[in-house]
Amino acid sequence: MTSSREKPFGFAALIMAVAVCAVTRADESLHQRIDKLIEEKADGLVNPLATDAEFLRRVYLDLAGRIPKADEASQFFDDEAADKRFVLIDKLLAGDEYPRRMRELFHVMLLERRGSQDEWTKFLQSSFESNKAWDQMVGEMLNPNAADEVTRGAAYFYTSRLEKYGQNPTDYPGLVRDVGRLFLGVDVQCAQCHDHLFIEDYKQVDYQGLFAFLGTAMIRRDVQFPAVSEKPLKKKVEFMSVFDMQQLDTGPRLPFSTAIEVPEFKAGEEYLTPPDKKTRAPGVLKFSPLKILAEQLPREENDGFKNNIVNRLWWVTMGRGLVDPLDLHSSENPPSHPELLQLLADEFAAHQFDIKWLLRELALSKTYQRSGLLPDGESEQPAAMTFRVALERPLSAEQILRSTLLATGELERVVARKKPAEESEEPVDPTFDEIQEQFLSALANPPREPEIEFSPTVKASLFLSNDDVVLSWLQPRDGNLVDRLSKLDNANAIADELYLTVLTRKPTADERSEAVNYISSKGERRAAAIGNLVWALLTSTEFSVNH
Amino acid sequence: MDNSQLCRPWEHQITRRRLLGTAAGAALGATGLGGLLQPTVAEDLKKKQKQVLFIWIDGGMSQLESWDPKPNTQFGGPFRAIPTSVPGMHVSELLPRSAKIMHHLAVVRSLCTQDNSHSAGVGRIQRGDPKNRGVVYPYFGSAIANLIGPGDSGLPPYVWIKPGSGGFKHQDAGFLGPKYGALAFGDGKPPENLLRHESISEEDFADRQRLRAAASQRYAEHRRKKNTEAHSYVFDVAQTLMERKELFDTENISPRDRERYGEHEIGRHMLLGRMMLEAGVTFVKVNSYGWDTHGDNFNGHASLMPKFDRAFSAIVEDLAERGMLDNVLVIAMSEFGRTPRINGHVGRDHWPEAWSLAMTGCGINRGITVGATNDKGTFVSTDEFDIGHMFHTWFRALGIDSKKTEYDNSGQPLPIAHDDCHAISELLA
Repeated sequence: MTSSREKPFGFAALIMAVAVCAVTRADESLHQRIDKLIEEKADGLVNPLATDAEFLRRVYLDLAGRIPKADEASQFFDDEAADKRFVLIDKLLAGDEYPRRMRELFHVMLLERRGSQDEWTKFLQSSFESNKAWDQMVGEMLNPNAADEVTRGAAYFYTSRLEKYGQNPTDYPGLVRDVGRLFLGVDVQCAQCHDHLFIEDYKQVDYQGLFAFLGTAMIRRDVQFPAVSEKPLKKKVEFMSVFDMQQLDTGPRLPFSTAIEVPEFKAGEEYLTPPDKKTRAPGVLKFSPLKILAEQLPREENDGFKNNIVNRLWWVTMGRGLVDPLDLHSSENPPSHPELLQLLADEFAAHQFDIKWLLRELALSKTYQRSGLLPDGESEQPAAMTFRVALERPLSAEQILRSTLLATGELERVVARKKPAEESEEPVDPTFDEIQEQFLSALANPPREPEIEFSPTVKASLFLSNDDVVLSWLQPRDGNLVDRLSKLDNANAIADELYLTVLTRKPTADERSEAVNYISSKGERRAAAIGNLVWALLTSTEFSVNH
Repeated sequence: MDNSQLCRPWEHQITRRRLLGTAAGAALGATGLGGLLQPTVAEDLKKKQKQVLFIWIDGGMSQLESWDPKPNTQFGGPFRAIPTSVPGMHVSELLPRSAKIMHHLAVVRSLCTQDNSHSAGVGRIQRGDPKNRGVVYPYFGSAIANLIGPGDSGLPPYVWIKPGSGGFKHQDAGFLGPKYGALAFGDGKPPENLLRHESISEEDFADRQRLRAAASQRYAEHRRKKNTEAHSYVFDVAQTLMERKELFDTENISPRDRERYGEHEIGRHMLLGRMMLEAGVTFVKVNSYGWDTHGDNFNGHASLMPKFDRAFSAIVEDLAERGMLDNVLVIAMSEFGRTPRINGHVGRDHWPEAWSLAMTGCGINRGITVGATNDKGTFVSTDEFDIGHMFHTWFRALGIDSKKTEYDNSGQPLPIAHDDCHAISELLA
């Protein structure tokens, strides 16, 4: 219930609790205040809470990264305790699957499908296992410590972007852009050559100042793990607008703030420890822009830093950012609920940037738990930004893969598979990692395209329709879903079990009779008929989104 | 494939076009002809099935090394101008084959557009740079997919043949919604997983798709329709492509065609483009990359232009020979031209101030040039035309009244091209 950082309840925690009271009304928790602020601006009736079935599927996908198992679902439906949603949220947040889900979520958000790397995975996994504070995580990414084996993989945020692709030069503008977008919620790329044409707030110096922090970073080639070094930054970055050709300069500078001075050193005196030419190990600089960036950016005083992450976590759980698009925070694109954004940012900072705490409050809110169905009597869906109705959200390829394996009863078998030690002539079944590669290639966006909205593709349809491995899961084999269902005598029971396992709900009367009639129409080909039904539900829109 | 439970998007499409026709017709009601006139036009459109071939030369083709040469002038560069099949008209010597088919072409030499950066320029040009109304406009391909629809081919209306990766590029559609996006064939290859798996009979496959469509439709009953429509649409397209896999069969292409189009990338892709047009795809975009010649512009164009010239002239000849030029609008263009001034790297930079494009086909006057630049080629010396003028012209050439037709963005009527621009009458047949 409380995050690990708040335990044990010592003196420091007491001080902190007092500090928290300063910004929170003592009688109301954050989730209640969220609901108030949403309902005040709803401009119409808000939807009632979702059914248990809808809530259960939603919260498992969000906090465990997969659909619930059939027995988990039955247990929850049968539970009559009034606080069962509350209890479940805490159970999922404390569970083993939470860190993995967060790792996958932040991997997609921060790397945008540039590939994966074991040390990076380890950094994310361990960070979420210990519920590391977001400011600390960001600091570790912005100034990676190659000496710390657990966190050094954080450098992959930089190295994956500094790596050249194709014949292009190192994409520093892209790196600057991503640091702005992903940690500050501002896309300053269009201000590279001149002040932004459409967004008054974004000036060329906002781009160039951020570039001054990052433009001297390089990939280290003397080690096998992801790591960066810096060339000495000797003077300010000079630039000129392509419009008025006036010569300007700036030292390292966070967007919308003041520049820091670039100290001057005599040639050869830039280092505390000079680089070692033999081993190619980088030296230790007296003036390291990355170190200063890691100190200055992830701070409570930095509104952009706070607003960006709470807005992104709001988008993760609610389907639309309070500021939308996520990387266009500016006075001309104000949040739909300014007070709410401010509240979330302040509370998040007051709780030491504790992601688990914030997700818990979001999940406990009625806003999160609302039904996604059209309100009675309304034929048009209300505007997304009112949050009167729960919004559909895309599922990542990782969520779809794990859910598909779980529904078909193939997860354990696939996870248990190991790569054979020696090359053999015999064809071997693919491992989980190999299957995941295929799912990513068919279902995930191409590199550098953010996964923000549901975007089905022909490629994915062909993959799910015709891929060898996917189709093999729909053949009956010992203990999988199709095998179990085809051994049931009663066709109604088959329909019930099918819908519970795949869609986490009971079938309607129509759906039950469709399934029963279809199975009976196929006579002897019972298993094939059941396989077809399972496939149809797995590829339905209902399964393919979080709703 | 029997998929009767779920309407196909193009069924909505045709209905919508009829509705549009009727609405426009009502405005003419006073003449007493309105009710009749518009549906007839709609029927007419459908009968002739207008198509578009849009050749996108990404990075910026130099007008001076192509359609608007200025030999022996300060900025003219090393290449000569050669005569064409149209008396008195000259193009760069890098276009020898296109010169021979100039009687089919209309060249515009007076383009003056607004953006000199690739990142913004590509989108701006392909969206027709309409007045800002706070919405993201569709690319030309998505616009045509919406306004003309897929016809009877059963194929997706907007196909994009490009180097690199393929997939479904829903972003092109802007506010029209994801289903008007581009189906991209990466490197002109057929999509993966195109063949039905041997373990699944035709009947089981059909059952699966029917049951899936029914499940999705039930789900959508009480929800926003957009996601389900987009999701069902990609499955429909997937099935159509599986049924039409012969489209990707490049084995049977004659050696003569291979030679005429060229064995290089743009040649192969243009040939696939012809096959797609023949199969009835409404809008085919063929993409060539790598034209951003800031350095070594002349060697760059000496290497790039002949490939373009070969592929472009071959497809125009073929369309003319097959009688398809009467129904297919062909456009070849970039996001801007290149600076007359030659920079320190013997390159030319971005120049939206005065540049050229070539077009032919349905509704277009042929064997003409429109507009001119000054002696040095630095600026337009006649009326300047922005991309908005071109969009009006192309819509008109396709039989779409660009001043009257509007998009319906969830109730918000939006013009299909820039309000302040108009069609260029000299170009229209």
